[in-house]
Amino acid sequence: MGQALLFDPAALEIREGLRRECGLGWERLASAGTWWTGEQRLALAAEARAAHACSLCQRRKAALSPYAENGRHDGLGTLPAAVVEIVHRLTTDAGRLTKKWLQSMLDAGVTEEQYVEAIGVVALITALDTFDLSLGFPQRALPAPRPGTPTRHRPAGAKRDLAWVSTVAPEDLSPGDPDPYRIHGVKNIHRALSLVPQEVLNFFDLDVELYLKDHEIRDFTQEFRALSHIQMELLAGRVSALNGCYY
Amino acid sequence: MEAALEGDGSQVGVPHGALLVEFGEAMLGGDEDRRTQVRNALYAAMGPAALVDAAATVASFNAVVKLADGSGIPLEEFKAQGTADLRAELGLEKLNRDTR
Repeated sequence: MGQALLFDPAALEIREGLRRECGLGWERLASAGTWWTGEQRLALAAEARAAHACSLCQRRKAALSPYAENGRHDGLGTLPAAVVEIVHRLTTDAGRLTKKWLQSMLDAGVTEEQYVEAIGVVALITALDTFDLSLGFPQRALPAPRPGTPTRHRPAGAKRDLAWVSTVAPEDLSPGDPDPYRIHGVKNIHRALSLVPQEVLNFFDLDVELYLKDHEIRDFTQEFRALSHIQMELLAGRVSALNGCYY
Repeated sequence: MEAALEGDGSQVGVPHGALLVEFGEAMLGGDEDRRTQVRNALYAAMGPAALVDAAATVASFNAVVKLADGSGIPLEEFKAQGTADLRAELGLEKLNRDTR
């Protein structure tokens, strides 16, 4: 017989900042981004959800190498095949992505900018869905798309000198570029999506409420959450290990 | 450090370590019964605010890995140097995408 929750998730008190940023996160998923429309962003998010039940992804996850398994994804049929491949791989097996694989996606017609924004969308829906799941909420219906046109703004200072994708160093931001570094910090993880700076803001605006702000992470003079630093790091380390993440 | 990667978290001297490790494992790979069981256990042992923050931590790290793994960003030099021995001891280099 199934277990039952001994508490009502809806009665849990969520910190004001976390509640605010979760709400904003859902809105941002549905809104026009830099390279994808709101409707397309929601299609990316829906495809990320579908990836969890994809039989090709499951075979690949179990295989010694994901590249030994071929076939078609159990996709939703709304996005091009290369985009589905990107979303499914990011969702189910990101730890085994390679630079060569990314190049094959670019060769298939996905632009670098679209790819980076797709990472942002997959990360955002993953964070929001995982939070709901972990508290015991049913999966939320995706919101309706919001009107708007992608800005199509590529920072002039973007260079392919750090990662597999072009990034923008803090000193190479131009006036008019969104500046995530001033708010969130300048580690490599903050540069990861900087080809599409709004995606850095979209993710880390939420992430600092889920986890900690950059300056709080190593401030051991006080605790900022109901979990202590060491408790959070134990949990975070296990989740990262389960995802096979080196960084 | 090793306890963050494997084992049940009970021997690491972290308050409620085993419960937190089980929470992470269950949310990423358990069935709904396992998840319900650990949500209840964590709520009872640590309180509702801790449950919220545990859920938030799992959400954060389940997501942020996509940024790192999707973009191919390297470890910062100071981190790479400072953790070389630790990474070797824990066998973490097998996860290093730069060697693939």
